[in-house]
Amino acid sequence: MLSRRDMAVMAAGALASAAPSFRAEAKGLGVEVGLRGTIGTYERLPQLRVESELDYYMSYRTWARNDIWRRAARRATQLFEEKGLNPRENDIPVREVVQMLEHDPVLAMMVHTRETTQQIMYRRLQETFHADGERLLDEMERAERMGPGTIELHPDMHIPDFARYEIHLQPGGYVGDPFAGHIFYHSLNVEVPHGNYQDDAQGRAARRVPAPADGKVRRILDQGCSSGQLVVALKRKWPDAEVWGNDIGAPMLRFAHQRSVELGLETHFMHELSEESRFPDEHFDIVTNWLLFHEVPESSGRAIIHESFRLLRPGGVWFPMDNYTAQLPKNSAYEKFFWWFDHRWNHEVWTFEYRKLALDFENEMRRAGFEVAYGPSYGGMNTNIMGIKPA
Amino acid sequence: MTAKKYDRPTYTVDYFKADTHRAHFFDNVMIDNLITAVVALGAEVWTNRQRQEILEALLEEKGVSAEMIEAYMPSEEQREKWKQDRDAFVARTMHVLAREADRKTSYDWPEELEEVEGG
Repeated sequence: MLSRRDMAVMAAGALASAAPSFRAEAKGLGVEVGLRGTIGTYERLPQLRVESELDYYMSYRTWARNDIWRRAARRATQLFEEKGLNPRENDIPVREVVQMLEHDPVLAMMVHTRETTQQIMYRRLQETFHADGERLLDEMERAERMGPGTIELHPDMHIPDFARYEIHLQPGGYVGDPFAGHIFYHSLNVEVPHGNYQDDAQGRAARRVPAPADGKVRRILDQGCSSGQLVVALKRKWPDAEVWGNDIGAPMLRFAHQRSVELGLETHFMHELSEESRFPDEHFDIVTNWLLFHEVPESSGRAIIHESFRLLRPGGVWFPMDNYTAQLPKNSAYEKFFWWFDHRWNHEVWTFEYRKLALDFENEMRRAGFEVAYGPSYGGMNTNIMGIKPA
Repeated sequence: MTAKKYDRPTYTVDYFKADTHRAHFFDNVMIDNLITAVVALGAEVWTNRQRQEILEALLEEKGVSAEMIEAYMPSEEQREKWKQDRDAFVARTMHVLAREADRKTSYDWPEELEEVEGG
């Protein structure tokens, strides 16, 4: 049941929808923001019914995680034990694990709760944004003309095949839909419940990014910045620094830039591959990334480590944040099934390659020239490795 | 197709289409479909309920309180109509629960059906 306060907020939103536009409060820029206003840094979806639907899917997914997914783990354990296998052992091949579990209805239900909501949610978001497509393109173009901050797009650059997949089922992936950034940003509200609306998760990540030992932070790069929320959080942490985000997905960068403009922040965005950056040697004091490595092939991951070293000035810090970076746990047999369906049916195409790289992550950092240290842990992601470029 | 084409730069490129829309996770695809439909119906119910809550909040601002809605006294005519609507709603949505199926699907073609077909 919604509280009176929730009702008041929603009613205010409903009234705002009658107005032709909503103005950003930040720095009095007079930038038009959406049709239904904002709640903090969150720009509301163009239609109440879509907002309600996503709210429902977020709740459904959370319930499934807390209930069905736990039942599925217990069921898998039971099935392994019935076959005389130890479910905590890691030496059962993935193919065998999948064949053993994939026909069980409890495990099928677990997969269904995830993949079906992904598809419905993404379809609804794509329909919503394309229904309002001309206006949204106008908004991005206007932001590109006015700033603050900059965006550098390279429409003729080669986009390698590995970046053209519909990663985690996002329609068009990061490169194929003009509203990939809009879609990604709003889908994260379902994926990261209570952690995305106010850039909360990205704010927590930014707080953990360490400064170089000499304290000098003039330029920062967020690699594979997607919707630019970590870029925003980094700019808020270091307001005097020049903060950049790069990404291979031009539509992602356009959304990130527009959102940053609407928040009144001077941030910069570069269309490029993280492993082939356009920036000169030793240009940045800090290079970081968030949830990047599991979305690139192993060879790209290794190349990104070396490119990060090139981009940092002596004494600069590299702080990668992804699930289990450099600390891949010994997976149980059930976890293998989990990762397999994430890879195969959620189209996290590079999950298994990332898991291979994770085992050699620290060695690759040392080969690139980094001094390896362990910084503050990022909650829930079990990653705290950092590279320091020797002075 | 929900994505449109536009007569201006959109900075997009071709991509590889995922095939999950072709997958079924239960052995019978119709179980997948049935659950998907139930989940989608849930979204519709919640969407309408949230909208109704907003309407009630707005009505309260205009002087129609939640208490007035609770205390609303329907006419005899309304009560009769609602009863019919309710019973029809239950029958429409729940009748499948009473279905008794006794035949597990199999590859074999039952003899009695062969006879009927032959006749």
